[in-house]
Amino acid sequence: MAETQVVRQNVLRDEGRLPPVPEPGAMVIFGASGDLTARKLIPALYDLAEGRRLPMEFAVVGISRTEMSHDEFRNRLRDGLEEQRAGSVSEDVWESFSKGLFYLPGDSKKPETYEELKDFLKKLDGERGTSGNRIFYLSSSPSLFPTIVERLGEAGMSREDDGGYSRLVIEKPFGRDLESARHLNGDILRYFREKQIYRIDHYLGKETVQNILALRFSNGIFEPVWNQHYVDHVQITVAEDIGVGTRGAFYEEAGALRDIVQNHVMQVLCLTAMEPPVAFDADSLREEKVKVLKAVRPISEDEVGEAAVRGQYDGGWVFGEEVRGYREEKDVAADSETETYVALKLLVDNWRWAGVPFYVRAGKRMPKKATEISIQFHKTPHTPFSGPDTEGLEPNVLVIRVQPEEGVSLKIGAKVPGSGFEVRSVNMDLLYGSAFMEEAPDAYQRLLLDLMLGDPTLFIRADEAEGAWSILQPVMEGWSKDGHAARYPAGTWGPDEAGELLGHDGREWRRP
Amino acid sequence: MSVEQIEREFGRLRMNEDGTLGLRASVLNLVAVTDEASAGEITRVVSRLAGRFPCRAIVMISDPDEETANLDIRVSAFCDARGGSGSQVCAEQVEVHTEGPPAHHLQSLAGPLLLPDLPVFLWYPGAFSADSAEFSGMADLADRVIVNSGAAPDHGACLREISGLAQDPAMPAVGDLQWVGLSPWRSLIADLFDPPDRRGELGQIHRVEILHDPRGESRALLLTGWLAASLGWRPESARETDRGREFAFAGPSGEVIVALDPGSEDASLRRVRLYGEELTFQVSRHRELSEAMSTVMRGEDLLGERTVHLGFFDQDIILGEELRFRGRDESYAAALRTVVEMIDL
Repeated sequence: MAETQVVRQNVLRDEGRLPPVPEPGAMVIFGASGDLTARKLIPALYDLAEGRRLPMEFAVVGISRTEMSHDEFRNRLRDGLEEQRAGSVSEDVWESFSKGLFYLPGDSKKPETYEELKDFLKKLDGERGTSGNRIFYLSSSPSLFPTIVERLGEAGMSREDDGGYSRLVIEKPFGRDLESARHLNGDILRYFREKQIYRIDHYLGKETVQNILALRFSNGIFEPVWNQHYVDHVQITVAEDIGVGTRGAFYEEAGALRDIVQNHVMQVLCLTAMEPPVAFDADSLREEKVKVLKAVRPISEDEVGEAAVRGQYDGGWVFGEEVRGYREEKDVAADSETETYVALKLLVDNWRWAGVPFYVRAGKRMPKKATEISIQFHKTPHTPFSGPDTEGLEPNVLVIRVQPEEGVSLKIGAKVPGSGFEVRSVNMDLLYGSAFMEEAPDAYQRLLLDLMLGDPTLFIRADEAEGAWSILQPVMEGWSKDGHAARYPAGTWGPDEAGELLGHDGREWRRP
Repeated sequence: MSVEQIEREFGRLRMNEDGTLGLRASVLNLVAVTDEASAGEITRVVSRLAGRFPCRAIVMISDPDEETANLDIRVSAFCDARGGSGSQVCAEQVEVHTEGPPAHHLQSLAGPLLLPDLPVFLWYPGAFSADSAEFSGMADLADRVIVNSGAAPDHGACLREISGLAQDPAMPAVGDLQWVGLSPWRSLIADLFDPPDRRGELGQIHRVEILHDPRGESRALLLTGWLAASLGWRPESARETDRGREFAFAGPSGEVIVALDPGSEDASLRRVRLYGEELTFQVSRHRELSEAMSTVMRGEDLLGERTVHLGFFDQDIILGEELRFRGRDESYAAALRTVVEMIDL
């Protein structure tokens, strides 16, 4: 006779004021000896554990080729945690948390590693009550992703037929170009269904980025003017004042287009240009983002020279400090043409944005760190105030600052006190980030919790990743034929060519 | 000092050295009603809170028993430099000292000082009388009333009074700082039953032991009320024991005994132990008090344990937590109703 399974509810949790805690589970981290595990993942998990957001029945299993015991792995993570959370690590909480940290040395290419892992996870289910729930976090070299996925699939660990879940987490970059992204997605989808896959771009875990949605869709005053009738153009800036530092080898392979534009900038573009989703859930939100990516007019290879600019920083001065040029950085070729700066002119061909250019730029060694979206409105059709009185009066600009100093500023015209009718532009600042002085949780903390709770809203769907590559693919191909990146001195806002990109349209970049 | 003068004074206080005005970021109005003895502490709590919840805080320090009318108003602004530009963001505080007849009409003083378009939280840190005209007038201004059931000397009467308020649809929603203080405990207890294979034990709980300090009985009662209301236990009887009090409940699977033991000396709640059919669950506060350990045992075998940070219990932090919440808290109201039934046994 078939047994009916009764699913009982935990009625003690039946109230809105108790925060949800994920189900029991084990997180397997591939490439666990790497930087990301010690600097980001474990501190975020520790914070969740300390803050009562991890279940008692939780375990982390690190895998990499380095030979290490469980204790050596724990000690290493403890050192990393001390670096990140100096002086605030509780001995008792760490002791309890670290009992759930394990390490398996193994080659992620070899099938026997997965048999060993499978047995170990089974053992943890019995000993720590992890209930057959698995998260496989790929923090290894991207070149290993397809192999790991294949081995997991072959070992039957992608299946969810025992009632437990199996989730796969992939760190950006999601491929190197459109073709490799499609291959990667195809490889993964052979073993995992899309709803099991969590592509992580930590940018979306930032409170400040999520606030773009809150600002747009919880304030009725912006939406009526958020279209081509009122907006002249949009500028998106993701600027960093730092150089490539110790990531020279990585950057030589990636460049700013792959490192920042394909993911962070495209996400900000989507959040700025998207239609209101019907709900704040994974499907609704991601559906609208994909529509934006589909609406971006492809830049043909012939147009790359007019619509795309790349640059590379030379030596210069950044906030009083003399800094070296990109080619003098560690692990960077002396004749490198890798771009550290990108500027693009994009057009979103839909009813809302027809004819409104989106100028986006991202760069390193800019004068300051700044991420912002600037909505530049049309000029007033007519002003009753005569010539000299309105000198310096510019069209309205709404700036959404993501970082630093999260907030909004609106440039409006105001009368200068005194006789006559002199009108000047005034910036009205609202630092909405300062209205709630709660410390925002780290982006990884938020995303790991969402992942364990099974909420993919802030993760990237396959078609999103591919959509972003589709836009950039012609640019990459065009640039591959012409190897020259324009130079700009460190501490400036990019090469002159970037200014010309807007100059041709009679516009100029805003100084953040 | 008129309302206009007060607003002008706030503008002056927010003025930067260069003549520009510091930003005022406000998310709510907070009106605290207290007496002279507690005024200093309450003012400090509100000042600390302003850093996290920029608001217009109005501290009403009243002595209605004085015969002579007296009104003294002080204003202050708490400004923090935020972000790279060093912009000042300010929160504002008005202290209203009132004696004699004006102290019977606090709402006439507080109402004009409220910032428009923002919710009003009315906070009674100490004892209050829900039947008084003064309370009723102030409650009319408020979107939410915050009390502290743990602050009253007669906790039975206080819990009964709050329960009446919470059930009254004409009253604003009620929040209780003691309930907020219980949140980490409730969360940790709920966590114990999250794994699907342990949920069945919830219906099999037959004994609960709560170790608290002698002044913490109110908190232990509220926790018991929550468990009973959530799990469908009906209060049946109460008795004094050698160690404290024992309540018997009729639960869905039979009798449930809850034993309250005031044997702890250093924590209002020290330990909660729940006995199921096969498993024993425990949440206990750690030696250092800032942490708590949860354990699950089968007989002598430890099946699971974890240690977490229990949270901070400073009054401004607890109050801040409560200020996040809007609307009526049905779990709290149900817990209170059960507590009243327990007290009436």
